[in-house]
Amino acid sequence: MTRKEYLQHQKTQRHRRVVGVLPALFPREILWAADAVPAEVWDPPLAVSRAGAHLQPYICSVVRQSLELILSGGADLVDALLFPHTCDSIQNMASVVHDYCGLDTPCLFFYHPKAPYTQHSRVYYRDQLQALLERLQELFGPAEPGALTAAVEMGQRMYRRLGEMYARRAGGNLGLGNEEFYRVLRRGEYLHPEDFIAELDQVLGRPAPAAAPPGPAVILSGVVPNPPGLLSQLDRLGVAVAHDDLLMGSRRIPSRLPAEGDPLDRLTESYFSLPPCSTRSNSLARRAAYLGQLVEQTGAAGVIFLIVKFCEPEYFDLPNLVEELKARGVPSLVLDTETNQPYDGRMATRVEAFIEMIG
Amino acid sequence: MSFAAAMRYRFMKDLGAPALMAARRAMRKKRPSRPDPLFGPPLKSLARLKEIMMRHYFLARYAPGAHPVAWVTSGAPVELLRVFGFYTFYPENHGAMCGAAHMAPELCQAAEDHGYSQDLCSYARCDLGHYFTGKSPAGQLPKPDLLFASNNICQTVTYWFKALAHYYDIPLILFDTPFNFDQITESDLRYMAGQLEEMITPLQRISGVKFDQAKFLASLELGRATSETWGQVLQTMRHRPSPLTIFDTFFHMAPVVSLRGLPVAYDYYQTLLEELRDRVARGIGAVKLERKRLMWDNIAMWYKVRDFSNLFAEHGMNFVVATYTNAWAETIQYLDPDDPFRSLAKTYSLVILNNNLDHRLSLMERLIADYQVDGLVIHSARSCKPYSVGQYDLKRLLMERLAIPSVVIEADITDSRAYSEEQTRTRLEAFFEALED
Amino acid sequence: MSLFAGIDIGSLSTEAVIIDQQAAMVAAVILPTEAHSTKAAETALEAALEQAGARRPELARIVATGYGRVSVPFAHKAVTEITCHGAGAHHLFPGTGTVIDIGGQDSKVIRLGPGGKVVDFTMNDKCAAGTGRFLEVMAAKLGAGLDELGPLSRAARREVAISSVCTVFAESEVVSLVARNEPREDIIRGLHRAIVNRVWSMVRAVGVEGQVTMTGGVAKNSGVVELLEEKVGQPINVYREPQIVGALGAALLARDQARALG
Ligand SMILES: Nc1ncnc2c1ncn2[C@@H]1O[C@H](COP(=O)(O)OP(=O)(O)OP(=O)(O)O)[C@@H](O)[C@H]1O
Ligand code: SF4
Ligand code: SF4
Ligand SMILES: [Mg+2]
Repeated sequence: MTRKEYLQHQKTQRHRRVVGVLPALFPREILWAADAVPAEVWDPPLAVSRAGAHLQPYICSVVRQSLELILSGGADLVDALLFPHTCDSIQNMASVVHDYCGLDTPCLFFYHPKAPYTQHSRVYYRDQLQALLERLQELFGPAEPGALTAAVEMGQRMYRRLGEMYARRAGGNLGLGNEEFYRVLRRGEYLHPEDFIAELDQVLGRPAPAAAPPGPAVILSGVVPNPPGLLSQLDRLGVAVAHDDLLMGSRRIPSRLPAEGDPLDRLTESYFSLPPCSTRSNSLARRAAYLGQLVEQTGAAGVIFLIVKFCEPEYFDLPNLVEELKARGVPSLVLDTETNQPYDGRMATRVEAFIEMIG
Repeated sequence: MSFAAAMRYRFMKDLGAPALMAARRAMRKKRPSRPDPLFGPPLKSLARLKEIMMRHYFLARYAPGAHPVAWVTSGAPVELLRVFGFYTFYPENHGAMCGAAHMAPELCQAAEDHGYSQDLCSYARCDLGHYFTGKSPAGQLPKPDLLFASNNICQTVTYWFKALAHYYDIPLILFDTPFNFDQITESDLRYMAGQLEEMITPLQRISGVKFDQAKFLASLELGRATSETWGQVLQTMRHRPSPLTIFDTFFHMAPVVSLRGLPVAYDYYQTLLEELRDRVARGIGAVKLERKRLMWDNIAMWYKVRDFSNLFAEHGMNFVVATYTNAWAETIQYLDPDDPFRSLAKTYSLVILNNNLDHRLSLMERLIADYQVDGLVIHSARSCKPYSVGQYDLKRLLMERLAIPSVVIEADITDSRAYSEEQTRTRLEAFFEALED
Repeated sequence: MSLFAGIDIGSLSTEAVIIDQQAAMVAAVILPTEAHSTKAAETALEAALEQAGARRPELARIVATGYGRVSVPFAHKAVTEITCHGAGAHHLFPGTGTVIDIGGQDSKVIRLGPGGKVVDFTMNDKCAAGTGRFLEVMAAKLGAGLDELGPLSRAARREVAISSVCTVFAESEVVSLVARNEPREDIIRGLHRAIVNRVWSMVRAVGVEGQVTMTGGVAKNSGVVELLEEKVGQPINVYREPQIVGALGAALLARDQARALG
């Protein structure tokens, strides 16, 4: 089943709502509680034509392509659109869609507090969860009693499995190539959690591999692991991605999963345990420490930064992260990418040269 | 704060600065003034403005040690800082200065040499370039003790200021203002007011000064009165001919941006307002021949202000309103001394760049009507995503609704390397032709 | 006698170098790459063999590098030009700590550690400004030959500032400078300055240590070299035929690998 067929199936057979969600951090559990399936939009494979009439050339390809999808009928499939407050570009694009594009699809906005956090940040975050749930219920009807707690539990099951997948990969006993790992991971961007958890269980049930790849290990940092050609080249070079600091990846996996209590409190607690991220404006010290820790724990020989061209939050942190890594003797490679750019010779040369250097 | 530094600051403030100003005045007197073929006689207040800003930058050198120094973003609620006696410095204002002094390419390049992408906001790159090279058109900048930012203008400032916090190893206080997508809620207001109240403790600690409610209210009142007077200054431009051009206001706005909450800013606008009212009464226009009235959208192109000022005046066109300069007057009516924190939160979070695009469209429609605008120049600023994303739609919608001709210039606020003279000329000439028929 | 070959198939030029056991160069050729990488590699290697007076079976090992490195079926191994330019520069100038290779489509700055091992490198972003191609486009606009650029630039009396960072903008800027009758020499020097500023950011990013060696076709342009030397604040090593350094490095690696394999 393609992504589109799956989502249609969710609507017609399972009678669920589908909500198109823009990057990056959003409370999936709140959507699940309202019996909605979030369909995340990061890098739809479309040639941009319509979006160019709304966006300047200096706006990142994530925003450009997402808008293209919304304008070219992508919004027809969904019952609502959710825009998390990720960066200035998404913020304004949300407003362009909501205020200027004349769509019938309801547009929701989710603001998350920015660091440095104060004691009010948690209260506010919890308020925002509550408000989003109320808004979804206004649109889709009341949630079943207990649905929220069930969603929180489901989320925790999912995060535990993701955590295990990451840990086993870091230890070299997962048995998934880089390309396959991210293919599996990215299915979570639109699968209902029940289906996604089943797939994760299947992957985790496979026997561990006989031998680890021969080459050096690396850490990926950035927004999305694109272009996929990069991952398959790393596979060919025998290089394992030992861990990541990707916005779509580990930056969305909380480290605390409180066992009981009020469901919104549990979600809040988890949210504030996420790894540091540019889009939450966490301090450079925390970000550098996190990366350094990933390198240390996995014994990775280097870090590859996959920066989406024009991405302000990532660009700003980059020089310091590179500097800090250098100070720790960890080499890094910075690649400027567009989400749908082919993996060309220029990029291949850099990646190979980097591997030759650290190998 | 050190006693010696405090004495030195006092000395410079009481004697050094006035001496410098007097010297400048003496120098200026020698220059003969000729009537200009394009523009009305220069404003008398202009000399005062230059003095005020020069004095501000001059004293900046002596502030560290004598006063706690805060670097502040243009949209932060500085009224609160005034209570603690902070010397405030505005990196964005400094960025504008770098742009006007044509120093931005050099400073931006220095930041790029340190790994900062050339696609980042050029105010930030100028500032970081200064950090790496120590160069600035203002001589020496006061080393900060505190960074005070609000993301009511963009998220960029939070990224930028957190880099500064890292380099200078000093605290960063952020006033986080949820974007107004639909409406601001009770919870948003509680969150923002709560942050403002919570800031008091660290501000007391950093400054060594105790919070004083009466002082706070006085500073709020002064800030309010300053913004209000600034609004009245802008309103004089509703008259035909307008006594000011928007290019003038790009400079006259400096006190309301960076000296708000201090008596000097308020006094300045009182004087300016008086002079402008007198000009209106006598029918003196800033541009001798004001055939068409225009609106400017987005931040200035600082390296082009003079050229554009001449170019448009030559065509008998005057910019009489800008969404940019208006931003420091737009929301001041929300301020309420009986509910200082919540109303301050409202005032600061509903500014144009923290507000949805529907709001921006109606604001522009209103300004176009109030100021009798014939055409619109849209500066698409590479640096500034929150100001620029949505402009293409604004152009289209304003054309549909009001049939108002407009032109988009793809450029930047300070980095002239992202600006093409040839391309812009062609677009502007086509725009002039469209305005004429 | 066993020989070792290195072939560098760049975006514009293809080089083949053959060395012997003692790393002495016995042949070196430079040809345009044109449309077909495999064919270019084949032709260059044949020409080099002929120059060396050797036959194909005498080649113990062949390493391919450059853009077309993956399209050389007869090569034993493909290695990136970063590693090869590093190896070649280290061999020619053993004190080299930083290598600047400006080719047609890419510029690279490479930091070398002990033994010529690459410890850091950077490459230009997608934009063509700061590469040899940019200079070719501008030279064509100004009606100057490539080999005239250096002498013209050094004869300039002033320097016209080129403010645009983008090739497309810079091109229209050059057009208007020509229209304003700015002397060609001054414009060329301004263009060289623009390139050098670009490359300098990259040099800063990896740092300067020890001697600086420049490789690739643009090293033939004395105007660029001179301005770069000014920036670096020390003389820059340029081999008499800077375009072959990558191929030489590849040949050296072929020799090392053959030894390691026994
Ligand atoms: N005689 C010359 N004088 C000055 N410059 C020259 C001369 N010959 C070549 N160049 C410059 O060298 C460039 C080509 O360099 P080179 O042959 O190293 O490129 P390449 O290796 O094919 O490209 P890349 O490494 O980017 O794939 C040309 O674009 C030109 O600017
Ligand atoms: S890639 Fe960066 S700029 Fe683009 S949407 Fe994501 S966070 Fe925003
Ligand atoms: S120019 Fe725009 S992005 Fe830069 S600081 Fe100002 S508001 Fe923020
Ligand atoms: Mg080459």
